[in-house]
Amino acid sequence: MAIFNAKDRVIECKLVYYGPGRGGKTSNLEYIYRAGKKYAMSDMVSINTKGDRTLFFDFLPIGLGKIRGCDVKVQLYTVPGQQKYSSTRKLVLKYVDGIVFVADSLEIRRKANVLSLKDLQQNLAAQGQDVFKIPVVMQFNKRDLGDKEIPIMPVDLMTRDLNSKLKAPVFEASALKGTGVPETLKKCLVLTLQDLQKELKWTE
Amino acid sequence: MSDRQRVESLVREADIYRSQGFLVAAKQKYMELLQLIQGHGKYSKNEKLISAVERKIRSIEKDMSEVSKTDAKPQLSRETQDLIQKLFSFSKNKETATMEGAVALAKFGQYQKALTEFMRLMNEGILPLEAAKNILRCHLSLSPPEVALTQYKSWVSRNDFPPDDLKYLRRFLKNLLDKRGVKVEIPEIVEPAGKVKRKKKAEEEVLDISSVGVPLNLGPLKGETVEFEVSFQSGNTISIVVPSDKTHLLEAFRPGLKLEDMQCYSLIAVFNGTGVVSGKSEITSGPKKGDFALDITISGD
Repeated sequence: MAIFNAKDRVIECKLVYYGPGRGGKTSNLEYIYRAGKKYAMSDMVSINTKGDRTLFFDFLPIGLGKIRGCDVKVQLYTVPGQQKYSSTRKLVLKYVDGIVFVADSLEIRRKANVLSLKDLQQNLAAQGQDVFKIPVVMQFNKRDLGDKEIPIMPVDLMTRDLNSKLKAPVFEASALKGTGVPETLKKCLVLTLQDLQKELKWTE
Repeated sequence: MSDRQRVESLVREADIYRSQGFLVAAKQKYMELLQLIQGHGKYSKNEKLISAVERKIRSIEKDMSEVSKTDAKPQLSRETQDLIQKLFSFSKNKETATMEGAVALAKFGQYQKALTEFMRLMNEGILPLEAAKNILRCHLSLSPPEVALTQYKSWVSRNDFPPDDLKYLRRFLKNLLDKRGVKVEIPEIVEPAGKVKRKKKAEEEVLDISSVGVPLNLGPLKGETVEFEVSFQSGNTISIVVPSDKTHLLEAFRPGLKLEDMQCYSLIAVFNGTGVVSGKSEITSGPKKGDFALDITISGD
């Protein structure tokens, strides 16, 4: 739920990294935290379980400084990808302003990607939001594994599976190395802030 | 692909899957590898190789067992608990926000801290019925069922709630216990002669309802429950949109129709309610032009 304080010229919004378990959502945030430490407003909070699986969520608040005279603050979250943590995902998704869908390029994760996208659509609908209307950016992660001769899906196939109707901007990425991570975030921020402009008129 | 390349490929895949936490896929690859080796003229004689792959499989099985034993809801630090409360309190209304924060703690398995918060809310008269329900939930997550039962009995003996609320709490507790397969006697509520203490304050206000499930009692979908997003709420009257092509619903939902056993979903609770269709009008402009806005006046159960 974006908050715009017109008096102090501050806008706060919430972006959520969604996607199947072990797809690289936390790696995205970790890279952002490492590479953009000057933007971080506090330490990144991660609640993990054995094997470094996200248990509840990751949280990283960042400040982008002044944009068009307005102080822009962004809360970045990840959801736990495992199917059993459905109620946690719903809670973290509450009042989201923009979404990065981190899809796993590994062939063995094809079904998990589709199920996660469907889960996102349903959870958004349950809180009165439409996946076709909210700003969404698609990231095809782990592209580097192809170089290690691990079976990954061609981009065309992933696009057909996940983005044929959604038609979200797509970025290929290797989150562990940081490839594609800043571009994905930047696009999602731009789309979200543009979307909020229509609603809140924060730049006027 | 030569046999050697096939072996190398399987090892590579298995190792990557394991490093990424896909233990089932990793085990499957090592099993494939073992099968290939054991059926191979040359490799099947290499006992060292077979034993190495078997060790890998056992090691993955150990990892799988450890992962399955991991506490799904571990106790978090005080700072993290405070952060959860802060991040998941959305409402502008301070009292509702406090309740949301406590509910979030419970959802994240921080039952002890949540219990303390719900107790505090109840004692301060903030959404006491919701607080009481969540107190029962927390007790059942933390302790044997008797503790929740004792808590309920203490509310009864102290007349902490009006009889209708106690009856509601009794039903609520019974449902929770039934779901856990616990059979215990919960005392029935006898209407007291004297006055009861009322701790209600903010609860007189109707909760914000985000969606409703309405069981249909007539038409082709009789017996099914249809869910609607709430597009607008004013007090205890909600508005939902029925698409123009859902003719059977439009015919069924006539003003005056009583809706029994509705499920009402709010951010902090799900509750049953009855409702009456109090208005129906066609939407004449905007993207939903031609659809129908239906007003339902709700009374909590």
